[in-house]
Amino acid sequence: MADLEIRDLTVQVEDKVILKGANLTLSKGEVHALMGPNGSGKSTLANVLMGNPFYQVVKGEVLYKGQDLLAMSPDERARRGLFIAFQYPVSIPGVTMSSFLRTAVSARRGYDKELMPVGEFQKLLKQKMDELKIEPAIVSRYVNEGFSGGEKKRAEILQMAMLEPEIAIMDETDSGLDIDSVKVVSDGVNRMLERAKGAMGILLITHYSRILHFIKPSYVHVMFDGRFVVSGGPDLAEELEQSGYEGIKAQFEVIAAEVQAEGAVRRAGKVFWVAH
Amino acid sequence: MQEQMTHLARAGFSRESVLALSERLGEPAWMREFRLAAWETFERLPWPAPADPEWRRTDPTMFRLEGIRPFADAPAGALPASLQQVVDAWQAPAGLLLQRNSQGVRSQLDAGAARRGVVFTDLHTALRERGDLIRENFMTTCVRPDETKFRALHAALWSGGALLYVPDGVEITTPLVSLAWIDADGVGIFPHLLVIAGQNSKVTLITCAASPPGDRPGSSIDGGGPGRVEGQAFADPVTELILRDGAQIRLVTLQEWGSNVAEIGIIRSVLARDAELRSLLVGFGGKVVKTNVESILDGPGATSEMLGLVFGDSRQHFDLHTLQEHRAPHTLSDLLYKNAVKDRARSVFSGMIRVLPGAQKTNAFQANRNLILSGGAKADSIPNLEIMANDLRCTHGSATSRINEEHLFYLMSRGLARAQAVRMVVEGFFAELLDRVPLDDLRARLQREIDQKMADDADGNGKGEIPTRRPVRSEERQPAL
Ligand SMILES: Nc1ncnc2c1ncn2[C@@H]1O[C@H](COP(=O)(O)OP(=O)(O)O)[C@@H](O)[C@H]1O
Ligand SMILES: [Mg+2]
Repeated sequence: MADLEIRDLTVQVEDKVILKGANLTLSKGEVHALMGPNGSGKSTLANVLMGNPFYQVVKGEVLYKGQDLLAMSPDERARRGLFIAFQYPVSIPGVTMSSFLRTAVSARRGYDKELMPVGEFQKLLKQKMDELKIEPAIVSRYVNEGFSGGEKKRAEILQMAMLEPEIAIMDETDSGLDIDSVKVVSDGVNRMLERAKGAMGILLITHYSRILHFIKPSYVHVMFDGRFVVSGGPDLAEELEQSGYEGIKAQFEVIAAEVQAEGAVRRAGKVFWVAH
Repeated sequence: MQEQMTHLARAGFSRESVLALSERLGEPAWMREFRLAAWETFERLPWPAPADPEWRRTDPTMFRLEGIRPFADAPAGALPASLQQVVDAWQAPAGLLLQRNSQGVRSQLDAGAARRGVVFTDLHTALRERGDLIRENFMTTCVRPDETKFRALHAALWSGGALLYVPDGVEITTPLVSLAWIDADGVGIFPHLLVIAGQNSKVTLITCAASPPGDRPGSSIDGGGPGRVEGQAFADPVTELILRDGAQIRLVTLQEWGSNVAEIGIIRSVLARDAELRSLLVGFGGKVVKTNVESILDGPGATSEMLGLVFGDSRQHFDLHTLQEHRAPHTLSDLLYKNAVKDRARSVFSGMIRVLPGAQKTNAFQANRNLILSGGAKADSIPNLEIMANDLRCTHGSATSRINEEHLFYLMSRGLARAQAVRMVVEGFFAELLDRVPLDDLRARLQREIDQKMADDADGNGKGEIPTRRPVRSEERQPAL
C-alpha cells in the first residue's frame, strides 16, 4: 500500500467546488511533480492534505500510512511526518524563529513536557542553516515577518530540514526565487532525500519545469480545473515546457464535452478523465 | 446618600477617624489640616455616576466602600510564606520597601545609594525626616485632592506609601522595588508613591501590588447589591512622578492583586525639560481595576514612553484611561497598550492625546491592540484627540481582533498542539511590547504569568475555547495633522 493515497477528493471553499475528484498515490522514496496552470487547485490540495480548516472536504478520502488522514488534526499530521512548505507562508508577529523552531522540532521528536535541550537544538539548527546558506540572524527575527520572498521560501525549507518529514509537499517553493536560490534549495532537498535513504517522499508542486532540472521527479502529474488530467514520467514536464498548458487545455475541453454527454472513462491524447 | 455616609462612618470613614489617624501617626499640624481639608472635599464632591463620561464603561457601584475599613495594621511577627515569596522574587534590588495592609514593614536601601543622598522610605518616615520635601510636593503640583472623590479620599486617608528622592546628577543602575500586600479582610488601602527625580538623575523603580489569590471575581459582581462584599478589599493608590530637567526614570507598575480587590488609582508624571520617562503598566490581577496613567510633558524636549500590558481572565474588568498631554514644544509621547481578554473578562482602553497651544514640533503616538481569546470576552478602544497646535505629528490607531486562525494553522502544521499554538501567538502578541523593556528577569516573570493565565480555565462554561471567527474589527487611522 502506498504511503499517501488520495481517492476521489472533492473539496470546496465556501460554496465553490475547487477539487473535483482528485486521485493520487505517492510513497516514500518517490518524488512526484504536480504541475498545472494557476487556479487549477494545487495549493488547495496541499492545504487540504495538511488539514487547513478553511477548506471543506465534501467527498473522498485520504489514507496516510493506511490511516484516515482527514480525521487527524494538522498537528497530529505534522507529528506523524507530513510537511508542507507553503506557497504563501504567513508571518507571526512577536514569535521568534528560534523559539518556534525549537517548539516545532520538539513536538516532531516526541518531547512531551519539556523542549529539546537547547544545545542539541542549536547544533542542529546551525548545521541546517549552513547547508541552506541561510543568514544566522534570521532565527532571532519574528516568523516570516518582513522576510523577502526568497527568505520566506528558504525559511520553509529550513523548517522542512529540521522536521525531517516522511512525506513533504513543496508548494511552488521555486516561484520568486532567482536561479542561484533555486539551486541552493534544490541541493538542500536532494541532500534530505539522500540522507533519508528512501524514507522520504515529495510532492513537488510547481508552475514551471525549471526546478525539475535540479530535483528529478519520478512522476509528473498535471492538474487542470480541480482534477489530475495527465500523469507520466519526467518527459511530460519537458513536453509541457514546450507546448505550455494550452495543448492540455484543448484536449481537456474535448473530453469534458464527451463526458458531459455520455458519462464514462475518456481519453484524448494524453488527457484522461475518469467519471465517477 | 446620607444613609451611605452613616454606614461609612461606622466603618471608619469619618472626619473623626481622619483626625484619629493623623494623631496616631504623630503627624505635623500641616498634614493634619491637609487631611481634614481633603476630607471636606471628599464630602462635598459627588459620587461618580454612570452618566459621567469617565464612568460610562465601569459601574461606579463596583467601588462602594461598604464593608471596607480605611486602616488595618500589619500583623506582628515574621512574614507569612506567601508574602516572603513575593519579597524573595526580587533579586538584590538597590532598595526594597514593603507595605503590608496599611503599614510599612520593611525598608532597606543600598548604603552607597543612601550615601549619595537617595531617599527611599515609607512616607511617614519621610514626613518626619524630609517634611519640607513632602510639604512642597505631596499632592500639590502633580495630583490634587480635589480632582475626584476618590482622590480626595486618598488625600484624607493615605497611609504607608513611599518617597523616592534622587538628588541631582545621581544615577542608580540597579532597580528599586516597592511592594504592597493586602492580607486583611475588608481593608481599604491608600498607598501614596511620591517620586522626585532631580536634574539629570537616573533611576529604575518597580512597584508591585499583590495579595493572596482570593475568590473568583464575579461572585459579587453577579449579585451586585450591597452586603455581598465580605472578603473584598479596596485599593485607592496615587503615584506622583516629578521629573526635573534631564531626569530619567524607568517605571514598571506591576499589578497582581488577588481577585477580591477593587482598585481605583492614578499614576501621573510631570516631566520638565529634556526629562525622559519610560513606563510599563502591567495589569494581571484584581476584580475590577480602574487606572489612569497620565504623562504631562511640561518642558521642551521631554519624552514619555507609555507601555501597557493587560491580561484579563475570568470576569476581570479593566478600565484604563491614558493621557498624553503636551504642554511644551519638541516633546514626544509614544504609547502602546496591548490588552488580551479571555473567558468573560473585559478591558476598556480610553486614550487621550492633548496638545496645548504652543506645543509645536510635538510627536504624539498612540496605539492600542486588543486580542480577544474567548467568545464571552470584550475589549473596547476609545481614542480621543484634543489638538490645539498646528505643527506636529500625531498618529493613533486601534485594532481589536480574535486570534488569527491562519497563524494557528501555520504553527499546528509544524506539530504544535492547538493550545501550544495559541500560547505562542499570545506570547507573540505581547512580545512586541516586552521587547522594548530591557529587564530580562521581569520579562521572564511576565512570560510565566501570561502562560499561567493561558493555562487557567477559569470560566465555567467557556472551557477557555478559542472562537474560530475571523477578525471582528480592525481599523487603522492616521490622521494627517
Ligand atoms: N482561500 C480561498 N478563498 C477563495 N477562493 C480560493 C481560496 N483558495 C483557493 N481559492 C480558489 O480556488 C481555486 C484554486 O486555487 P489554488 O488551489 O490556489 O490553485 P493553484 O495553487 O493551482 O494556483 C482558484 O479559483 C482560487 O481562486
Ligand atoms: Mg498555488
